[in-house]
Amino acid sequence: MNAGAPLAGHFAPGTLPYRDGHIGIVELGEGPTVGYLHGMLGNPGVHAVLEELAATGHRVAAPSLPGFTGSSEPEGLRTLHDWVVATSEVVDLAGLTGAPLVASSVGAMLALELAAVRPEAFGSMVLVAPFGLWDDGDPVADPFGTTLSVQRAMLTEDTAASAAFFDDPSDLPADMVVEHGVHRYLTRTAAAQLIWPLPEWGLADRLHRVTNPVTLVHGAKDRIIPASYLERWAGALPNVAGTHLLDEAGHQADFDQPAAVARIAAAAFA
Amino acid sequence: MKSIFFHLMPYPELPPDFPEQHRSVWVDIDPKLYDPTVGHQTYNAYLDQLEFAAQCGFDAVGINEHHSNGYGLMPSPNIIAAALSRNCPDTNIVVLGDSVALYNPPLRVAEEIAMLDGITGGRMIAGFPVGSPMDTIYAYGQNPATLRERYHEGVDLIRQAWTSDEVFSFNGNYNKLRYVNVWPRPVQQPHPPIWIPGGGSVDTWDWCAAEDLVYCYLSYFGYKAGLRTMQGFWKKVQELGKETNPFQGGFAQFVAVADTEAEAWDLYREPAEYFFNTCLHVYAGYADPPGYKTPNTVRAGVEGMVERAAREATARREANAADAAKAGSAKPSFGSKKLSFEEMVEKGYIILGNPTQVTEQVHELATTMNVGHLMVFSHFGNMDPELVKMNTEMYATKVMPEVAGLFEDDYEDHWWPKTDHQLAPVGSRAQ
Repeated sequence: MNAGAPLAGHFAPGTLPYRDGHIGIVELGEGPTVGYLHGMLGNPGVHAVLEELAATGHRVAAPSLPGFTGSSEPEGLRTLHDWVVATSEVVDLAGLTGAPLVASSVGAMLALELAAVRPEAFGSMVLVAPFGLWDDGDPVADPFGTTLSVQRAMLTEDTAASAAFFDDPSDLPADMVVEHGVHRYLTRTAAAQLIWPLPEWGLADRLHRVTNPVTLVHGAKDRIIPASYLERWAGALPNVAGTHLLDEAGHQADFDQPAAVARIAAAAFA
Repeated sequence: MKSIFFHLMPYPELPPDFPEQHRSVWVDIDPKLYDPTVGHQTYNAYLDQLEFAAQCGFDAVGINEHHSNGYGLMPSPNIIAAALSRNCPDTNIVVLGDSVALYNPPLRVAEEIAMLDGITGGRMIAGFPVGSPMDTIYAYGQNPATLRERYHEGVDLIRQAWTSDEVFSFNGNYNKLRYVNVWPRPVQQPHPPIWIPGGGSVDTWDWCAAEDLVYCYLSYFGYKAGLRTMQGFWKKVQELGKETNPFQGGFAQFVAVADTEAEAWDLYREPAEYFFNTCLHVYAGYADPPGYKTPNTVRAGVEGMVERAAREATARREANAADAAKAGSAKPSFGSKKLSFEEMVEKGYIILGNPTQVTEQVHELATTMNVGHLMVFSHFGNMDPELVKMNTEMYATKVMPEVAGLFEDDYEDHWWPKTDHQLAPVGSRAQ
């Protein structure tokens, strides 16, 4: 594992060589391995849901996908297929192959895409507000045609929950504040690439291949993907183990209600 | 120095309370505000104005591309260029430009410019913008993360298509073409001059400097504010050890000329206020989609032109809201505090005055920014057609002759249609 990548102490305590660059990774706890694939906020350092998952007696490994927090800029990732291949590589590289997985938002979408072609990549999955379905009568909101402050309010119900991503650390030297902003911009760019202009790439037609047990979690106050999508997902996936609508949680319910998500995951993986 | 009469073609009848009642003039502007009868009259009036400018002796007429935009009624600039091509037989036409990444395949641009070059006998200048975020990302659904790569690939395809004398295959990341063969071919060989309109991306400076392309800053905020951007470009040119030929630069400027300064203040107030306070009422949430800027530009802290417009509108809006809150008003409003005409002139957004005063300022603009191509906005906002005519004619007859000689003796304009290559008007155009 490499250290010393830019901002390593803030966005990614560890890094792994990946293609011509690196990916960031956060690892916590001891016990059976659980993987975590982040959402639009990436992994802004060690964050609460990872700590809560580790506290349930698991080793948690949370790699950052290419372009997201702590990883180098993606090269050659143009299509969804490119991203699915990259996700497959990252899962193997992080030692998560076949492990149970918690995934959120764009990470949950990629996990489903990968499971559709490679179900053995994961064990059971707990998915928090995946992107990937679209209903004309109840559309997914646009989180990018808005100001940064509004986007922040759309991502979590409690804006303080995303402080590690949106706010610059107070101990960061001035020149690194600029780089912190660049990393934040690149993370937002990578997320936008995955879901722009509409987050629907035909996944519904591939979901019959996802045989893994899936537990669905959705924030009742998700301002990006309406809470009604919880039932849509439950109806579309072939092997649903459970559904959970979390009060006082927005799109990234794993940031708003980390303890609740960890409890759901621990029960699903028991 | 070349003067290009440039038109944005704004919709002239947005309601007076537009900023208060609507979120944005761009992207989600209310379709119900568009009256096709007004559109019919407007298109024809604006074409008249472009043709009049050509008759007045402007070196060229210029147009651009916008989508879902209340201040730019040209989703297809090549259609306007085609309408002009037969009625402006002696004038060059600057399409600044075609947003290459929005054409599928971009070969369409190579073909249409070649057609226009054929009709005009070699009087086309081809501009290739990346395109604003509003046009490309929001109105046309391009992915911000791949837009620039797609754009550069498209420009590469067009240049290859114009210069290759063989049919060839193009294996791009976004364009797979077994047979590339532009028929017709442009009159200008190997191809019309290429200008790149930019908004402040440092990577665009690098690219234009390295590839010897014209860098044009189409700002709405005048030469005083645009100086830093143009200096950034020239610094890149110098770093490469190349000549800082002013004809490799272009800039856009609002100009308001009258017989006296007092008359100019009186005549141009309303159209200026309409443009800056209504037409530039752009929602800030559309200005900076993640991925549109390169990391280098983010790092350099350079702000794009439309981003600035949106930011300033938002700042005024917030100040307005604060005032309303103090006054106890709970009524929601999208409105902004108005930018005053005096501020517009003081800050250089508009060059205003009698012919002598305007000439002095244009001279200052050209020499401080080192630009040999000036895009002149003689029309702006909802300007009355008779006033447009007066402004256009006064610039052409009293200002342009005074600045036309700038740079001409010391530098060669490599980026202008070569008159010795142009074909004489034929058919009914010859008369």
